[in-house]
Amino acid sequence: MGAGQTQRIKEPLGSSHSEPAVSVRGLARSFGERLALCPLDLDIGYGAITGLIGPNGSGKTTFLRLLVGLLTPSAGTASVAGVRLVGEGVAIRRRVTYAPGEIGHYGELSLEDHLRFLLAGRAPAALARALTLAERLGLPAGARVRSFSHGMKRQMLFAAALAPDVRVRILDEPTEGLDPSKRGEILAILREDLEAAGGARAIVLSSHHLGEVDRACERLLFLERGRLLADERAADLARRARRLLRLRYGSDAPTERLATALERLGAERVRWEGSQAAVVLACDDPRPFLAGLVNLAELPAPLEIAYGRLSLAELYRDLYGVEGL
Amino acid sequence: MPRQWWTALWASLGYGLVLLGSLVAAVAYYPQFAQNIGKLKALAPLPVLRNLVSDLESGGLWAYIAGQQFFKGCNTLGTAAAVLFACGAIAGEANRGTLEIWLARPFSRTRLLLERYAAGALALIVPVFLTTWSIPAQMRIFDVPGELSMGLLTRAAVHQSALLLAIYSATFAFSCGGRHPLRIAFGVLFATTLMFALYLVENLTQYSLFRLADVARFMRMADHGLDAGLVGAMFGAAAIFLLIGWRVFTRRIPL
Repeated sequence: MGAGQTQRIKEPLGSSHSEPAVSVRGLARSFGERLALCPLDLDIGYGAITGLIGPNGSGKTTFLRLLVGLLTPSAGTASVAGVRLVGEGVAIRRRVTYAPGEIGHYGELSLEDHLRFLLAGRAPAALARALTLAERLGLPAGARVRSFSHGMKRQMLFAAALAPDVRVRILDEPTEGLDPSKRGEILAILREDLEAAGGARAIVLSSHHLGEVDRACERLLFLERGRLLADERAADLARRARRLLRLRYGSDAPTERLATALERLGAERVRWEGSQAAVVLACDDPRPFLAGLVNLAELPAPLEIAYGRLSLAELYRDLYGVEGL
Repeated sequence: MPRQWWTALWASLGYGLVLLGSLVAAVAYYPQFAQNIGKLKALAPLPVLRNLVSDLESGGLWAYIAGQQFFKGCNTLGTAAAVLFACGAIAGEANRGTLEIWLARPFSRTRLLLERYAAGALALIVPVFLTTWSIPAQMRIFDVPGELSMGLLTRAAVHQSALLLAIYSATFAFSCGGRHPLRIAFGVLFATTLMFALYLVENLTQYSLFRLADVARFMRMADHGLDAGLVGAMFGAAAIFLLIGWRVFTRRIPL
């Protein structure tokens, strides 16, 4: 998609509000000659977690910064929580919380003081909620932030972004640098937060931890080099993923003959990476294909069959043919 | 109290104590200075310095106090404080990656900028006034003969503050667009040191910024009062630099 071409994606999810939580039209941002975000049309509704997925430099952070008014758009318009982006930054920031991807902190402050700083201008109840969240995440309230690990600082920013009662939460890489159990905890808190708001809140997060984000998000937006590649329901993606499997053969396997045989068995597409075949099935049920595979006596049997445990990166590469996720 | 006000308070206390310490020593030393001024004049290596000592000799107590508190104390320590307080105001946030969390809160950019500016400006100016106002008490403590009116001391502090504020505001404007506070500090301190060096060169002394707050200027103030035009111009320069900083800041970060 060219730089001047607008990417238009319809809102696929139902919304309890008449207007979208985030609405962008032709929103673009360039840094000098480099187009960091191609013109984008997009609506994000309330009552769902939307995941922005893409490799480093794909435009995720640029998009999120534009939404909270930390960057000026080069073109286009946007509204967040019903407030037009340009010229009404304060009104937007009252309705939105943001956890940045880059961890900035004041090391000399204690966790409690730091949360107080981050929540300045919010309702007083926000600090109490942030402290409760911090306690749940195991962060020591009295300790100085400079003594925190990278992951603890990330959780502090997360707690501050989750505490105020706002309509939209924007979280840039909220699980980056966390161990798997903490990531699970963070995603569980997000689900609870969304449910507690009863459809009146939207959460937009970015990540490249693909295997977990798809579990937390209802909707996935795939970005690559500033372009929106795809916009899918996570459930649809999971269904499509059920059509994918990988077969690993010995290094001397006759790939051309195997490809023909696999297509005859029900493969819609076969792509070879060395001696490994990435197979897209023509139907959701893999059993007929696998049964036929067992009966392919004239060809070598696969050394390994991977089904249902492919990473989203692999799925995405197989579905869209895009490397780097 | 917001974090920046605490930071400003501690910075101000530190700078104020150094300024006060230097002033106390100067006030206590005055009787000996008055006795030995002839010898000091003979020791002055440069014509500009000899002129300065002559001014001190003819101006008496006021010239000495103005020279110590304003020309020496505030023009050196105050300038350094102005640069140090302003250089990291915005650039420091960018440098340590806290600009986003500072700005992501529900406050207008203008408010955040003005709060940051005001905190540093007050930290810079308040010690000038407080130490200046303490001079009569110090004179009593050290039995320094003579008398200085609070009106004259206050006018001198206003004059000096205007110059320091202009330097602070210029540095603040650089900080609004930069992300390396140390580079800004070194750059401005180099420029101000150059200005001090210019002051000491007989043929170039009139081009020095510090001519605006030297002993001769404060001596004239004793006879003719505050030079409202000059003070207004210095405050005006400070306001213009602040506006430039605001413009740079809002171009850097949307409202």
